[in-house]
Amino acid sequence: MALPFKVTRGSWQHWAGRVVLFGGVGLFIFRAASQWSRSGQGLLTDALIIAIAVTGLNLITGYTGQLSLGHAAFFAIGAYVSAMLVTGKVTTPFFEENLWTPGWTLPVVAVTCFLVGCVVGIPALRLKGIYLALVTIVFVEAVRSILKYDELVNVTGGSPGIKGLSYLPPSWTGLDGRADLNKWFLYLATFFLVVASLISSGLLRSRIGRGMVATRDNETAAAVMGVHLATIKTVVFGISAAIAGVAGSLYALKLTLVEPDVPKFGLLGSVTLIVALVVGGAAQQWGPFVGAMFYVFVDDYAREVGEAPDKNFFIGWMVDSTTKINGLGGVLFGVLLILFARFVPFGAVGTMRMGRAKVVQVIPVPPTSKSTAVADGEPTTVLSAGIGNLDTSNESEPTS
Amino acid sequence: MTGTGTGVSQPILNVAGLRAGYGPIEVLHGMDFTVGLGEIVVILGANGAGKTTTMRCVSGMIEREGTVEFQGRDIASAKPDAIVRAGISQVPQGRGTFSDLSVNDNLLAGAYTLKDSYDDDLDYWYRTFPRLAERRDQKAGSLSGGEQQMLAIARAMMSKPKLLLCDEPSLGLAPIVTQELFRILGRLRDELGMSLLIVEQNAGLSLALADRAYVLETGSIVATGTGAELLVDDTIKEAYLGVVT
Amino acid sequence: MMLAASDLSLFVERFINGLADGSIYALLALALVVIFRSTGQLNFAQGEIGTMGAFFVSTLTLTGLPVLLSILLALVLGFAVGAGIERVVVRPIELRNPSAVIVALIGVFLAMNQLTALIWGIDARSLPSLFPNEADDFVTILGAPVRIARLGTIGVLIVVLILLYLLFTKTKIGLAMRAVANNQESSNLVGIRTGFILLLGWGLSGSIAVLAAAMLAPSAGLTGSLMLGPFLLASVAAVLGGLDSPVGAVVGGLIVGLVQAFLVGYHPSIGSIELTPDLLYPVMLVILLGVLLFRPTGLFGSEKVERV
Repeated sequence: MALPFKVTRGSWQHWAGRVVLFGGVGLFIFRAASQWSRSGQGLLTDALIIAIAVTGLNLITGYTGQLSLGHAAFFAIGAYVSAMLVTGKVTTPFFEENLWTPGWTLPVVAVTCFLVGCVVGIPALRLKGIYLALVTIVFVEAVRSILKYDELVNVTGGSPGIKGLSYLPPSWTGLDGRADLNKWFLYLATFFLVVASLISSGLLRSRIGRGMVATRDNETAAAVMGVHLATIKTVVFGISAAIAGVAGSLYALKLTLVEPDVPKFGLLGSVTLIVALVVGGAAQQWGPFVGAMFYVFVDDYAREVGEAPDKNFFIGWMVDSTTKINGLGGVLFGVLLILFARFVPFGAVGTMRMGRAKVVQVIPVPPTSKSTAVADGEPTTVLSAGIGNLDTSNESEPTS
Repeated sequence: MTGTGTGVSQPILNVAGLRAGYGPIEVLHGMDFTVGLGEIVVILGANGAGKTTTMRCVSGMIEREGTVEFQGRDIASAKPDAIVRAGISQVPQGRGTFSDLSVNDNLLAGAYTLKDSYDDDLDYWYRTFPRLAERRDQKAGSLSGGEQQMLAIARAMMSKPKLLLCDEPSLGLAPIVTQELFRILGRLRDELGMSLLIVEQNAGLSLALADRAYVLETGSIVATGTGAELLVDDTIKEAYLGVVT
Repeated sequence: MMLAASDLSLFVERFINGLADGSIYALLALALVVIFRSTGQLNFAQGEIGTMGAFFVSTLTLTGLPVLLSILLALVLGFAVGAGIERVVVRPIELRNPSAVIVALIGVFLAMNQLTALIWGIDARSLPSLFPNEADDFVTILGAPVRIARLGTIGVLIVVLILLYLLFTKTKIGLAMRAVANNQESSNLVGIRTGFILLLGWGLSGSIAVLAAAMLAPSAGLTGSLMLGPFLLASVAAVLGGLDSPVGAVVGGLIVGLVQAFLVGYHPSIGSIELTPDLLYPVMLVILLGVLLFRPTGLFGSEKVERV
C-alpha cells in the first residue's frame, strides 16, 4: 500500500487513533498517580499547570498572532484572587468568616481574569506587534508592583505575600486528606488541562476561531472581509487570560502560599511560558502540553545538575564538590528559543505532525457534509501555523 | 547599429541566457541583449514581463544565471557594491530616494563609493538641475515626483558610472515632466557619452529616444530592432501604443 | 506661604537625580532606537548586553586594571556581542522568517540573563565608579548636595549625544547608517554594504548599553538583574518618544527618569492613593497608554502608512 495512508476525519479509524493517543496519555497520568514518588508527582503537576497557562497563551499568541509577554500577570492575578478568597482577606457575603472553599474560587478567578484580559485586549486594538509586546511587559511588572504594594497589605499581603492556603481533597473523591494531596492536585491539574484544551479546540472550531486565524495571517485583509477585529482581540485575550488565571490558582493552592517577588509572576515568567509555547509548538493543540512537560522536567534536571555539578557525568571533571552552577536551564532554553525560531518554527509537535502526515494523512470529509471545521492535520494548515505569522509589525493604527 | 557610429566595438554590456526568479518561480527564461558604448537601449514590456527583475540582475540585487559581462568582465556573481564600483548605477523604480535625508545628503550618498573628491560633480549636477539646488537642504521625501526623479538620476550619476540603468523612469510622472526627463536622458548620452539601459512601459517617448530596443514578454525577448523600426512596427503599435491597425 | 530654601534645594537635588537616572534610560533608549530605525526590530537583549559588560568591567578591575580602561575594554566587548547577535541570530532568521526574529531575541535575552549568572554567580558585587564616588564627593548647587558621580552620568550622556551627532551628520559611515535606516534597497544601489552597516549599528548599540550599565552599577549594585528594570523603563521611554526618533529616545528617557525621581522624592496622592516609588510601573503604564492613545507612534515618532 502506498504511503501516506489516508484517513477521513470523523471515521472510525480517526477516532481509534485519537482513543489510542488520549488513552495513552491518560494511562501515563494514572500510572504516575499510583506509582511515582511524591516529588515526581509534584513535578508532573507543575508541568500540567504550566500547560494550562500555555494553552491560554496559545490562543492569543499562537492562533491570533498577538505576542503577549504579559501572561504571567494573569497567572499571578489568578493565584492571588484564590489566595485572598481562601484566607478571607476580602469581605464577601458567601462564606463563613469569608473563608472560601478553594474549589469555588476557580470560577471567580476565571471571570476576573477574563475581564482583566478583555481590558488588556483593548490597547491591542490600536497597537500592533512590537508596541503591544512592550505594553504587555510593562503590564506584567505593573501588576506585580500592585500585588507587592505594602499599603494594600491587608488585601494582598504586601511584600511577604499570603500564606496558609490549603486545598484538601473533598471526601467524595475517596482520597485521604494529607496523604493523597499530591494525587489530588495531579488529578485536578489533569482535569483542568482537559477542560482548557476543550475550550481551546471548541473556540477554534467556531466563527471566532476562523476570525482568530484570519487576524493572524493578515489583519487588514481580515477586517476587509468582515472579521470583527475588536471582538476577536478582546474576547480572545479575555479567554486566554481566564485560562492562565485558573492555572495560577492551582499553582497557589498547591504551593499553599503566594509571594510577589517570584520570577514566575514577572517578565521572566512570561518568557518561560513563551519558551514552552515555542518549543512545544505554537498554534498546535498538543503544543502546550509537550512544551510544558519539556520545560518543567528539563528545568528541574538543570537545577539538579547545578546544585551538584561535580556529580554530573558530562561536566563533573571540570568542577570541585563545592561549586554550584546557576542558570544552566535558562541558558539552554534561551538557546533553544533561538534555534527553534530559526529551524523549527512549528515546534516539536508541529514537526512531528508534518512527519506523521507523510505516513498517515487526515483528509476532510467530502464536500457533501456541512462541516465547517477549521482544518487540522493537513500539511498546508501546519505550514501556516507556528510562529511564522506572528504580528511583529511596528506600525500602530494609522490615525484617520 | 546606430549610436556612436564607430563600428562594432565590444558592447559595454553583454547579457546572454539570463535566467532569474524568486524562489521556485522563474521569471526570466534566458534573455539575450546588449548595450553598446554610448547607446540608449530600451527594453519594453508590460507589467509582470520581468523588467525590474532584469534590472536587478544587472545591478546584482538578485541571484542570476547566465552570462552578464560588463566591459568584458563577468559580473554574473558580483555583489551590488562591487558592481557600483565597476561603473554601473541604477535608478530604481519609484525613484528610491532617501526620503528622510536631505537632497544634498542623497547626492553625497550617491558618491559613497568614490575615493576622490566630488565637489565638482556636486556643482555640475546642481547646475544641471537648478531646482535641486534650490531645495538642497530639504528632505527628499518632500520633493515632487519629477524632482525626485531628477534627484535619483543625479544621485546615480554621482558614482561616475559608465552605464546607467533606469527602471521605468516615467512611472507616475505627468507627460510634460516625462518629456523633460527623456530629454535629460538623451543629454546624458550626447554630452557625457553615457550608455543607458532603460526598461519602460511607455513605448512612445522611449522608442523615440532609443538607439535600439527589445521587447520583453513574460521573461523572454520577442522582438528587437532600432528605436525607429519598432516605432512603426504594427504589432508593437497595437500592443504598446494602443493604435488599431 | 513662602517656598523655603530647603524646598528649593530638595527640588534641585531630586531634579538632578532624575536627570542622572534619566540619562541612563536615555542611553539605553537611544540604543534601542538605533536598532529599530535600521531594522524595525526591538533588541530585547539590550539590557543584558549591558549587564554582561558591567560584570566584565568588574572582573577586569579585580585584576587590577584601572576603571576607565576596564570600561573601554568592556565597550569593545559590548560592540562585539551586539554585532555578533546581528550576524548570528538576527540576519539568518530575518531572511527566512522575519516575524520569528522577535522570538529569537527573547531567547537571546533569556540566555544572556542566565549566562551572566552561570559565569559570575548570583552574589551581588560592587562596581567601582568612573567618577569620584565617596561620601564627600559632592558639590552644592542651589543649596542641594549633588553627587559628582550623578553629574558625571549626565555628562556622559551629553558627550555620547555629541559624538553620535557628529557621527551621523559629519561622517561617511554615519551617512551610510542613516541611508540604510531609511531605505535598504537604495543603499545597496549606491554601493553601501548594508550588511556591514547593520552590523555596525548593532555593535554601537551594544557599546552604548555597556556604557549605561557601567554608569548605573556603582550606585545600584551589580547583580544579574541590574538592567531588567532599566530595560523596561528604557523601552517605555523609547516608545514614549517614538521608536524611530533619537530625539524622542532622549526626551523620553529624561522624562521617565524625572517621573521616577519625583515619585521617590514626593509622594503625590491621587484621591486616596498615595503614589510611592513602588508604584513606578503602574504609573508608567498609565502614562504610556495615555500617550499612545493620542499619538500611537510616540511623541516624536513618524506616522507610518500600512500597505495592504
